[in-house]
Amino acid sequence: MSLSFEPKIIAFCCNWCSYAAADLAGTARLQYPPNVRIIRVMCSGMVHPEFIMDALSQGADGVMVLG
Amino acid sequence: MTLSEVTKIDGIAGDFLVTVKESPRYVDMDKCIACGACSEKCPKKVAGEYDAATGKRKAIYVKYAQAVPLKYQIDPNSCIRLQKPGACGFCEKVCDAGAINFNDTEKIHRINVGAVVLAPGFEAFDPTDAGVWGYGVHKNVITSLQLERYLSASGPTEGHLIRPSDGKPVNKIAFLQCVGSRDENLCGNGYCSSVCCMYAIKEAVIAKDHVPDLEATIFYMDMRTHGKEFDLYLERAKQDAGVQFVRCRIGGVETDGDSDDLRLRYVNEQGRQVENFFDLVVLSVGLQTPKHVLELARVADIKLTGDNFAATPDFAPVQTSRQGIFTCGAFAGPKDIPQSVVEGSAAAAAVSDLLAPARHELTSVASFPEEKDIAGEEPRIGVFICHCGSNIAGVIDVKAVEEYAATLPHVAYVERNLFSCSQDTQEMISKRIREHNLNRIVVAACTPRTHEPLFRETLKAAGLNEYLVEMANIRNHNSWVHGKTPKRATTKAKDLVRMAAAKVALADSLRPISVPIVQKALVIGGGVSGLTAALNLARQGFDVHLVEKTDTLGGNALHLKQTWSGEHIPTQVAGLIDDVLANDRIIIHREYTVSHVDGFVGNFRTTIIDREGTKKVIEHGAGVVAIGGEASVPTEYKYDAITRVVTAMQFDKLFELKEKHVQQARRFVFIQCVGSREGEHMYCSKVCCTHSVQSALALINEDPARKVYILYRDMRTYGQREALFAKARKQGVIFINYELHGKPRVVENGPDIDVEVWDHVLHRPLRIKADMVVLATAIRPREDAADLGKLYKVPVDGHGFFQEAHAKLRPVDFSTDGMFVAGLAHYPKPVEESVAQALAASARAATLLSKTRVSLDAVKAAVDEDACDGCALCIDVCPYNAISLVEKKAADGGVVGKLISVNKAQCKGCGLCQGTCPKRGVIVSGFTMQQISAQISAALAV
Amino acid sequence: MLDTKKVGSVMIVGGGVTGMQAALDLADSGYYVYLVEKTGAIGGAMAQLDKTFPTNDCSM
Repeated sequence: MSLSFEPKIIAFCCNWCSYAAADLAGTARLQYPPNVRIIRVMCSGMVHPEFIMDALSQGADGVMVLG
Repeated sequence: MTLSEVTKIDGIAGDFLVTVKESPRYVDMDKCIACGACSEKCPKKVAGEYDAATGKRKAIYVKYAQAVPLKYQIDPNSCIRLQKPGACGFCEKVCDAGAINFNDTEKIHRINVGAVVLAPGFEAFDPTDAGVWGYGVHKNVITSLQLERYLSASGPTEGHLIRPSDGKPVNKIAFLQCVGSRDENLCGNGYCSSVCCMYAIKEAVIAKDHVPDLEATIFYMDMRTHGKEFDLYLERAKQDAGVQFVRCRIGGVETDGDSDDLRLRYVNEQGRQVENFFDLVVLSVGLQTPKHVLELARVADIKLTGDNFAATPDFAPVQTSRQGIFTCGAFAGPKDIPQSVVEGSAAAAAVSDLLAPARHELTSVASFPEEKDIAGEEPRIGVFICHCGSNIAGVIDVKAVEEYAATLPHVAYVERNLFSCSQDTQEMISKRIREHNLNRIVVAACTPRTHEPLFRETLKAAGLNEYLVEMANIRNHNSWVHGKTPKRATTKAKDLVRMAAAKVALADSLRPISVPIVQKALVIGGGVSGLTAALNLARQGFDVHLVEKTDTLGGNALHLKQTWSGEHIPTQVAGLIDDVLANDRIIIHREYTVSHVDGFVGNFRTTIIDREGTKKVIEHGAGVVAIGGEASVPTEYKYDAITRVVTAMQFDKLFELKEKHVQQARRFVFIQCVGSREGEHMYCSKVCCTHSVQSALALINEDPARKVYILYRDMRTYGQREALFAKARKQGVIFINYELHGKPRVVENGPDIDVEVWDHVLHRPLRIKADMVVLATAIRPREDAADLGKLYKVPVDGHGFFQEAHAKLRPVDFSTDGMFVAGLAHYPKPVEESVAQALAASARAATLLSKTRVSLDAVKAAVDEDACDGCALCIDVCPYNAISLVEKKAADGGVVGKLISVNKAQCKGCGLCQGTCPKRGVIVSGFTMQQISAQISAALAV
Repeated sequence: MLDTKKVGSVMIVGGGVTGMQAALDLADSGYYVYLVEKTGAIGGAMAQLDKTFPTNDCSM
């Protein structure tokens, strides 16, 4: 793997916990690599398995479901 | 109104004129956008109040990161500029919003209100002057509040537990209980603060989470874990977390030579004097009323108790001595969060009792222009990109994002704003929507969690459906966290805008659902809780149906004599029953029980049935479950075999009737925790310690020559009840501690009853000769509680008591909307707490009943009737029981299969059904499969 | 009491959990509420806590 590899990660975040936590990470100015694209859902249980397959088949290097 | 204090209250109940002094903030709240640039530049650091002096804050600061309002303020005592005109002023220079105003002045407001509620809270006891604990002398002696900040991820050490003196990791920690409580000598606070035992256990458990090998020891007199689920927590702390508990009050904290270690001397369980060293000693400080609150009480002209808390009657626990002025929370006596929240609601109920005729007189309903129908229109998306001062624009190349957004499909208009959330920008967005005929909006700014409601209002004001907006979070999730990589942050911002545009293009207008409300209440249970709730609701102007299983009103209180403070219960209960009977808004259904329930919040239909099978159907918008509890029947201590072994309630009757066995008896033994705090009943019945102490005092009062023993595990005379315990000790009642593994033994021995118990002070068995033994029996839930719970879809806990929606913040709500709980049905509690909870349940019910319709968020599940094949997988996963299986009918009316139906009033839009459905047969509006798929594709498109 | 004037507004002194609960319930049942807080932000003592017993939930 070359050093310039930049993974694309899709994160499904629950509005009530992990999405709020990501907001708070901002308030606290915690720095992290900009490789994650967050999709807000009303509950992590809303994330259909198809979404994970979709994301991976369309080129995502990782999927996180946070809730 | 922040930074404000009440300085005067004129007038009478229903019509007060209150004078409020508002101190200058020196920051314009309308302009400040909480970017933090000012604080970053501020050169002055002082100890932070929020961090209990464990950390520093600047002279210009927000109280804490999640503060509401999230606006900066200048502390005039530490600000260099305000102390010395012309100096410093950096904050003013860096504030892009122009919010700093050094010329801000104090303002006086005179406000006409119908009632005043005093909820000023408490302060933690300051152990500095007490000397013995070494606080302020040894750096490694801290207060529990300081430990709370050290343990917090937002605290000064980001949650790392280190010694303040040298930053070394903490391996041994000691908690000293009752610092500033139960101690007339050192602090003058004789009362128990009620919360410290639990918070010490919690802090010990959390500290052990942070440092797994940590040795944590709690030094205590009595563990007072009397609240709901608290004893289970205590047991878990002992058994699972390995927290040590030592029953010993520590006299002093010393250091050992030059070391920063702290030495404690105490008597261990074997009765030996030992010494032990600790890295950190935490003082579990009590609660007390601060000086400024005593001043407030003087201004309000209300009476205080000897312990400096607001004086309140037990049957009106939020009523102060001045009509129209109410109180709640720790100012009405030390208490924990759930009980404070209960009292907050109870105060609302009491206020509403007073002011019901003026309800809705001063509130208004906002009006909006008619909504435009966008069905069938091609999306025309407007994108508004916020600079947020320099918060976003300082990192992200917003101009590049603007240019990029214009190239996206369906985007018709793009604009940048300095602050998208400001009032003038709102009006401008509204104008652009009309000018450019926009029908979908993307706001690239901060988080929808705080600002989506604002932009929804903006759309409504522009005549667009409020659900046609999507936010791209380019601040909290981007500029703030990727400050060091501006180029990549800009790329990410483009991606986020592209994702939001892809999603919003598929958005539909959603109708917020609203259902009419039956403005009537049902109260189940005619005890003190049920009567109180029914009476308050009726006085607030609502019709109430009161259902009682027996033919008598009054419930368990009919067997009680006095409250802890000595109020005569029979008189109060009789008065309550008279008031209920006299109120023509209350319809009483005696000898009826609930047999069937239909409907949901605002529209329940409850069927009640009597013994003959007669049924009545009651329509109601809200319900209060107050079915009470019952006394357990002892199976130990020879209760069945010896007639002079009686329960506490039997004793009360015998004592009142001056029965001869009681009259002749010289020696009494009370045994506590009979049926409580062991085995499957691992909970405290909460009232028995105080009850036994009161009985003991009555016996001694009648004849001082009597010998009275109380055998206890932990004396739980919490709060201001501690005074009774102190009095009993003074008057010669002998208290002997026993542990669960060495329970007392009761043996009949001729005319005597021998009670054997292990004496933990003398470390030998003790035989007490008694004439009468009184068993403090437990409070049990009603046997039919679980069945009633099933009818309303509300749960009971492991002990059979009803389970509230949230242990802290929703203590009287059920997870089923529209249903509330009060009294012993929820958990054992004394009368005054049942009254408070009943008032709280009434207040919560009134928030529904005062409206004609209840409106619900439009983010709900909906069925795609063509795709759903009725497999019913979603029914099992739905946490709200909102989905049911119905017959699928063809156009001709014939049944062709099954499909699901969603009750919109019960659905919360969580989408578990959508995530489970194999057929795409159920969709959550606002988060449809197509919308989320579009976001995924957009995220990965480049 | 019935014939005296009743003003449909309430002042809550103290913006901790207790005061906020009272304010919310009153505002939700049709009264105009003034919430008076001594410091610069509401939240009170609970906002200082890290976790709460018995569920160890976050305080915020």
